[in-house]
Amino acid sequence: MKLTYALTAFGLAAATPLPALAATINAVMYKNPSCSCCETYAAYLEQNGFKVDIKPTNDLSQVSAGLGVPANLEGCHSVVVGGYVVDGFVPVDLIKKMLAEHPAITGIAMAGMPMGSPGMGGQKTESWKIYAFTKDGKAPTVYATE
Amino acid sequence: MKHDFHYTMSRRGFLVVAAGAAVSASLRPTRASAVDERQIKVGPGQALFNGANGASTAVWTYNGTVPGPALRLRQGEPVRITVENGLDEDTTVHWHGIRLPNAMDGVPGLTQPPIKPGGSFTYEFTPPDAGTFWYHPHADSLVQLGRGLAGPLIVEEREPVVVDRDLLWLLQDWRLTADGQIAGGFGGMMDASMSGRVGNVVTINGEVPADLGVRAGERVRLRLANASLARMMALRFEAHRPVVVAVDGQPCDPHEPENGRIVLAPAMRVDIVLDMQGDPGSRHAVIDDFYDGLAYTLANVAYDKGPPLRAHPLDAPVGLPRNPLPAPDLARAVRQEIVLQGGMMGGGKLKGLGGMMGMGMPGMNGGAAWAINGMSMTGDGHAGMAPQFALERGATCHLTMRNETAWWHPMHVHGFSLSVLSRNGAPVPHRQWQDTVLLAPRDVIECAFVADNPGDWMLHCHVADHQMAGLMTVFRVK
Repeated sequence: MKLTYALTAFGLAAATPLPALAATINAVMYKNPSCSCCETYAAYLEQNGFKVDIKPTNDLSQVSAGLGVPANLEGCHSVVVGGYVVDGFVPVDLIKKMLAEHPAITGIAMAGMPMGSPGMGGQKTESWKIYAFTKDGKAPTVYATE
Repeated sequence: MKHDFHYTMSRRGFLVVAAGAAVSASLRPTRASAVDERQIKVGPGQALFNGANGASTAVWTYNGTVPGPALRLRQGEPVRITVENGLDEDTTVHWHGIRLPNAMDGVPGLTQPPIKPGGSFTYEFTPPDAGTFWYHPHADSLVQLGRGLAGPLIVEEREPVVVDRDLLWLLQDWRLTADGQIAGGFGGMMDASMSGRVGNVVTINGEVPADLGVRAGERVRLRLANASLARMMALRFEAHRPVVVAVDGQPCDPHEPENGRIVLAPAMRVDIVLDMQGDPGSRHAVIDDFYDGLAYTLANVAYDKGPPLRAHPLDAPVGLPRNPLPAPDLARAVRQEIVLQGGMMGGGKLKGLGGMMGMGMPGMNGGAAWAINGMSMTGDGHAGMAPQFALERGATCHLTMRNETAWWHPMHVHGFSLSVLSRNGAPVPHRQWQDTVLLAPRDVIECAFVADNPGDWMLHCHVADHQMAGLMTVFRVK
């Protein structure tokens, strides 16, 4: 499958810090059709200024792999936003930081489904590592620790 | 071949195959001599999912084809089937749904030693029940099924059923790469703990479906069998009113399915009777809309332009003769319960079980993602599997299956057919017997069977990833 996603105006928009009431950020979420925690995460994104187009897919792991998500970081959904890939329950501030700073990476991912993360709810009991990954075969690097 | 599912299906126009004719040919009984001897060679091969002009896909086959040859047996007549293993790994064959001696059930370690590469094993049994069954490996199940090993097994009624044509759709679901090969990555944790390895290309009898050619006025018996690893299906025949006459090979009271949807989980079979009452030259879609937002047209029923075969539908009854299943004695039944646990939690639905958990992992070791009654048996079967419960020979077992997970599970019992009594407290109508009972998330199913067949028998989810990752148990009939 060749997934094409427009870089749109994000390159430009991201050059300036996003104001508190930014324009809606369009995102596409590929998710397992039977998983409801992804929908909770989509709602969380929508509450934070994103407009999420949900695309259920039965071969999510292939879609995610095609987007460049390393297998060991794969979550139950992959979000394409502003030319980047966001996998798993990454907090929204980190997504906005990435979109603003426009780093030379493919995307960011949080492995596993830790308690307290957006989408899972509950209490946060451990620190989370969010990884940056690229499509050049290099090992993911820690993008942020929350 | 494109591996985008919808795209592939939308190109179906290229792939004009007379599905009906192909099916009739593959079902032609291979009449044996006095002793019904069959040979099956397991080995690598190539499949042409898109017909002779399409790309070929490297697969594992029974006798060189995917699906394997249709075995047509006669009810009550013994058969000897010699299976020769041409793979580089162990295999076995499980005769899914056939009530047979335990030693012929095909579970490695539990009922027989695995068939080594280059080795063979002769299965001997006498099918007591007429109906639609299938055969598949029970070793390295996820990979061997996922690479193509499955075939239909039809046990013919002693007296032929009155229909114009007897057709079979063996449905398989493949996860193909962009270049049309079977994708690797079997047993990934996300697949294992969620809905299993659902694919992106569905085939009927080994080909991406084109039209089912029919003639107005004819009556067709269509045997539907879902041989997918994980894909659930819910088929609707537009402008037609299919009548379900058997489930999992066992005749039931003929009935129209609820909302016109025929739900087929992996390993389930449903026989339907279709009276073709459309207009000559008309076309009608067969739609699979099981997954929200992912409905697609599986195939089309295409009428030829000829005049109707007859002015009115056949008035012969559609019901099938019942099979000789022992009647449960519910008043004196032994009660057993199995509880399905684990898997990825959907949106905190398991609050009552220790709060929000990423993975409900009873037995995180060994890659288990699921459990039955707190125990995860992983893999395909092996020696020394301790039975979850034991039954006296001849006792009626009243079995409750409780799905505490957020996922769907077709639970398959080896060696028996279950009389399905109730679903979530509501009686199940139509006197249905099944060997593979689909549980929706949170469903509670009650069923019963007579423990008339001694041995250690498997009971497992037929989403192959789920079985491999712990959704399996064993019970003993003494």
